[in-house]
Amino acid sequence: MSSNDDPDDVSRRDFMKGVGVASVVGATGATIAQQGMNHLELVDDPIGSYPYRDWEDFYREEWDWDSIARSTHSVNCTGSCSWDVYVKNGQVWREQQANDYPRFDEDLPDPNPRGCQKGACYSDYVDAEQRVKYPLKRTGERGDGQWKRISWDEALREIAEHVINEVTEGRYDAISGFTPIPAMSPVSFASGTRLINLLGGVSHSFYDWYSDLPPGQPITWGHQTDNAESADWYNADYIIAWGSNVNVTRIPDAKYFLDAGYDGAKRVGIFSDYSQTAIHTDEWLSPNPGTDTALALGMARTIAEEGLYDEDHLKEQSDMPLLVRADTGKFLRASEVPGLGEDVDDPEKVMVMQDGEGELRIAPGSLGDREAKYDDSKSIELDFDPQLDVETEVTTTDGQVPVRSVWVNLNEELSNYTPEYVAEETGVGEQTHQKIAREFAEADAAKIIHGKGINDWYHNDLGNRAVQLLVTLTGHIGRNGTGVDHYVGQEKIWTFNGWKTLSFPTGSVRGVPTTLWTYFHGGILNNTDEDTRSKILKSVNEGWMPVYPEKREDGFRPEPTTMFVWRGNFFNQAKGNVAIEEVLWPKLDLVVDINFRLDSTALYADIVLPAASHYEKTDLNMTDMHTYVHPFTPAVEPLGEAKTDWQIFRELAAKIQEIAERRSIDSVQDRKFDREIDLQSVHDDYVRDWATGEEGALEDDEAAAEYILEHSEESNPEDGDHITFADTVEQPQRFEAAGDHWTSDLEDDKAYAPWKDFVQDKEPWPTFTGRQQYYIDHDWFLEYGEQLPTHKRPPEQQDQREYPLRYNTPHGRWSIHSTWRDSEKMLRLNRGEPVVFIHPDDAQRRGIEDGDRVEIYNDLSEIEAIAKIYPSSEPGTVRMWFAWEKYQFPNRENFNSLIPMYMKPTQLVQYPEDSGEHLHFFPNFWGPTGVNSDVRCDVRPKGGED
Amino acid sequence: MAHDNIEIADGVDHQVAMVMDLNKCIGCQTCTVACKTLWTEREGTEYMYWNNVETRPGKGYPRNWEQKGGGWESEEHTQRTPGEIPSSEDYGEAWEFDHEGILKEGEDKKLAPEGGKPEWGPNWDEDQGAGEHPNSYYFYLPRICNHCTHPSCVEACPRQAVYKREEDGVVLVDQDRCRGYRYCVEGCPYKKIYYNAVSKNSEKCVFCYPRIEGEGPDDEVHPPACADQCVTQLRLVGYLDDTDGPIYKLVEQYEVALPLHPEYQTTPNVYYIPPFAPPQHSRDGETVDAERIPRSYLEQLFGDRVNDALETIERERQKVERGGYSELMEILQDTNPAEQYRLEVFDDV
Ligand code: SF4
Ligand code: SF4
Ligand code: SF4
Repeated sequence: MSSNDDPDDVSRRDFMKGVGVASVVGATGATIAQQGMNHLELVDDPIGSYPYRDWEDFYREEWDWDSIARSTHSVNCTGSCSWDVYVKNGQVWREQQANDYPRFDEDLPDPNPRGCQKGACYSDYVDAEQRVKYPLKRTGERGDGQWKRISWDEALREIAEHVINEVTEGRYDAISGFTPIPAMSPVSFASGTRLINLLGGVSHSFYDWYSDLPPGQPITWGHQTDNAESADWYNADYIIAWGSNVNVTRIPDAKYFLDAGYDGAKRVGIFSDYSQTAIHTDEWLSPNPGTDTALALGMARTIAEEGLYDEDHLKEQSDMPLLVRADTGKFLRASEVPGLGEDVDDPEKVMVMQDGEGELRIAPGSLGDREAKYDDSKSIELDFDPQLDVETEVTTTDGQVPVRSVWVNLNEELSNYTPEYVAEETGVGEQTHQKIAREFAEADAAKIIHGKGINDWYHNDLGNRAVQLLVTLTGHIGRNGTGVDHYVGQEKIWTFNGWKTLSFPTGSVRGVPTTLWTYFHGGILNNTDEDTRSKILKSVNEGWMPVYPEKREDGFRPEPTTMFVWRGNFFNQAKGNVAIEEVLWPKLDLVVDINFRLDSTALYADIVLPAASHYEKTDLNMTDMHTYVHPFTPAVEPLGEAKTDWQIFRELAAKIQEIAERRSIDSVQDRKFDREIDLQSVHDDYVRDWATGEEGALEDDEAAAEYILEHSEESNPEDGDHITFADTVEQPQRFEAAGDHWTSDLEDDKAYAPWKDFVQDKEPWPTFTGRQQYYIDHDWFLEYGEQLPTHKRPPEQQDQREYPLRYNTPHGRWSIHSTWRDSEKMLRLNRGEPVVFIHPDDAQRRGIEDGDRVEIYNDLSEIEAIAKIYPSSEPGTVRMWFAWEKYQFPNRENFNSLIPMYMKPTQLVQYPEDSGEHLHFFPNFWGPTGVNSDVRCDVRPKGGED
Repeated sequence: MAHDNIEIADGVDHQVAMVMDLNKCIGCQTCTVACKTLWTEREGTEYMYWNNVETRPGKGYPRNWEQKGGGWESEEHTQRTPGEIPSSEDYGEAWEFDHEGILKEGEDKKLAPEGGKPEWGPNWDEDQGAGEHPNSYYFYLPRICNHCTHPSCVEACPRQAVYKREEDGVVLVDQDRCRGYRYCVEGCPYKKIYYNAVSKNSEKCVFCYPRIEGEGPDDEVHPPACADQCVTQLRLVGYLDDTDGPIYKLVEQYEVALPLHPEYQTTPNVYYIPPFAPPQHSRDGETVDAERIPRSYLEQLFGDRVNDALETIERERQKVERGGYSELMEILQDTNPAEQYRLEVFDDV
């Protein structure tokens, strides 16, 4: 099979004669003769018969190790990839994907290997320079990087004394604990959360704070968020990646998007720039930044006007047939129509529609017709044919009232989005956006992967609702291969109940919406317009949104005093960064950071405690990108004096108890909950299994992990197998079931896809109307004209003439948030310091060339970066991949320093206003989002003037 | 059997080969890091990326490697093309950072490469490409040594320290015999041999031979780390002469897998599925029927055969879109991992 008559046989053996100039004089400049070739044994033919091969052991000896441990990374990446960690000579050598996720559906691509380049070098962190090895106490100013090493006993004592003082002074609600995303390591999440819960302290939300929460989902679907696992992308025939840069931010999952393209699916990318995901699509649309809502509504108009919608779906599953009073803008309620709603509990909360005979009928499953937000005993299935197109007058208790269906209202709104207007506003062609709308509607299974690109805008709720409308109109929801899958952050954890009861044993939880807490204490009330200010105050005063410390009986509200941060980099990642640093941070008397590395929060903390790295601990790991659970197990002992988070907080509890016992400190009556905060039993309470009452049961990390698995339906269902920790060490385990916080069942041989409970099983949607609800009749929504999705331009906090460029800080390739931002290996694979991407024309106009140092500035701050010419950017936007650490900038102002505090009043509401079943504050379910895409700036060469 | 596109070197029993599908490369560099943590963390190797991934169009790694000569003048393989050694600036230094000073000793400076602002690195022009929004274009090109059938690096070495293994055609630099003359560095047109200034040897991609030999403590055969760890699983690894394997089908039967720069005449054994991209936009934002990546650019990289290859891929994609079956489309997906790596088909390897 090989070629005969190899013509170069001769030349190969004649090498000494030299062919080509280069071979005569070597790189060292010496001739061959000088280099002592004389005594070298000749090789007959280096192609195929090389005799001296013993040396090959040199590289074979490298491929060697002593042991392997299974672990992963707790970095809020949603990756949840199982890795084998190789240990050589007592040190972590390297890692490689474990490659053993079991396949549950042979028709889908292999789930292996999950991973990314960052995970592939986490091992560097284990003994990196920035590793925290001992408890550190600040000696200089916060941020100076000057420390003294203290003993564990000193550290714990100092923190314990402070905490005891706060609790006994009644300021337990001035103690905050910030740790994001339980799913990535629930035992570590629970460690501090459990102690803070026992102390009566405050637990912070994260999903809304990071603007990962798509507010449109609770608004429209009544549920936090629910997504298909990424494998389900492959089940779609038509996929739109809309502002979701999966090839960069969902590296372990990208395969499903890419392979779908070879499986007959059309992939459309909607990104302002020709992004790293756009390059692997079949069609790319490039809307102007901040106009996605207009584009979605234009597509919706085409679908509605051309009759491409799924009429049955709209009638049964959406609020489109519901009647709205034209005089008040409120839904017509059954209580307002004489003779209607006599069979329901609360006719004031029951909506009305008109059947085929023109009769008014109640909408079954409306809130007033069910027991609670979720009620699977009720059905929304209809035995009549509600009309979509209704515009009439009805006799009400207020007399004759003109009413129109939501459908009529919606079509009126959509009529604004003519192809001409949409093309003008968004820059996407008249033909093109309509063609995509038609294709989407006509596909068998069409899906939208929805991301941060549209979620980080001030009007993100409108954008979400507009995009969601596309799947509702077309009925592409509640089946495999359909839906809007919003993959930003991780809102929830599979093993919910075990995690919840481990984290919050008392059941009395001071949860806080972190955006509000942070901006409230960061001074937003003095820093925003009058309307927003009054609405924030109303929301707080009405109790729609809590802020801690609570207002005391005398009307005084103390400041927060204490913050524990672990598993996150709160200070670096805080938007409104200037205000946080200048106003909030000085209020805190004690900031404790628990960390394996010195990140910016650690640098600006008072005490830093050394945490075990991800390869030195025991924990669980999961994600909503897939349906498996697998563990962290220690490959090596924690470096130096590091300990696991669970041990750190347990020992802190022990120290508090020890002091409290010694001083016989009385328990404190909680001001809000019916419980006593007892410092003399806080460690006993920490290690007790509250489910069984067994004392001391939860001393160690693995016991805590087992507790989670045992007490969760997903891993220990009534009618299924109990997944134990040992099982997960053996191999990643697919969950047995999906508990109540999911909206579909988990089926054995199918990818998880949400909303089936409502779409297929016809349970009422957990909204006011019991349906997918596009019309919100809350007063504030009506006041802002946002009762239906509508396009609004971004608010302009910076003057466009002064700051002509948009400033965008998307998630990038080279870090997971700030983790790995400081990694030598990763920095070497980009440019080693913060980089800003700029369109060639914008650069040229400012005299900037690739590689130049530039200043990016606006009214808040200025930061320095290296310019990178990015021809795939739309003109007028600069991009800086986010999460650079403060200490990577010369003036320690970071990428977030240019971002002001935004707060959209529609995200502060309770709905219905009196009872809030549809929308009420719950950490990570509903609360204001910390957005950052509406910012403007300008750029100049460093040292230059404007 | 006659093969149009397959040629095995004389004296070599079987030839390892790799196919990389550029339509699935997301530039994540997991392959790069996998290779680095395995082979190039020893002293003197820090700057090396045996596996690198570069954005195209672009200057690549080392910078402007395509302009640095090497290879053969013609398919006769009698005359080598003169080459040059890239400078250390072309590779980029392995930057050092002072975490300790800044974070633990209170030094008032920012974390950045020590010793001044760098000018180039292994992934410097990432995502830059060519053209201009909305009709810009770029894609990622992962590169390892091609373990060529006519390796000009072997020919270039006067000490005969570079050789091609009989059993599998892997090209290696003998670390005992090499004296660091760097003729091989000049001679390789892909610039896939690197000089280790500490050991004073040249080093290169070893196709992870200890892994494919099953020489680790677990005695198991593993594909090369760059392939095994590639998250989109875009690489197929096996033997070119395994006529039942997918590589043979892609290269010989469908002719969709093409060598990079065939005009260098070294007959590479790494093949690429050429990239396609979404069509261009008109001035008023309409999708227009115009290819985004200029064909002439792809022809520069892969030769004229790229046209047929792209046509075949397009035809087979359409077949599947209409509900038909395509073996080719199936091979390109990660639905059959057992076929993806066929490294245990021959008894004599
Ligand atoms: S960092 Fe996240 S995405 Fe990357 S390998 Fe680890 S778990 Fe996976
Ligand atoms: S790519 Fe270069 S180093 Fe590798 S075999 Fe070919 S000529 Fe030699
Ligand atoms: S790991 Fe795979 S997808 Fe990622 S850069 Fe390497 S070849 Fe491309």
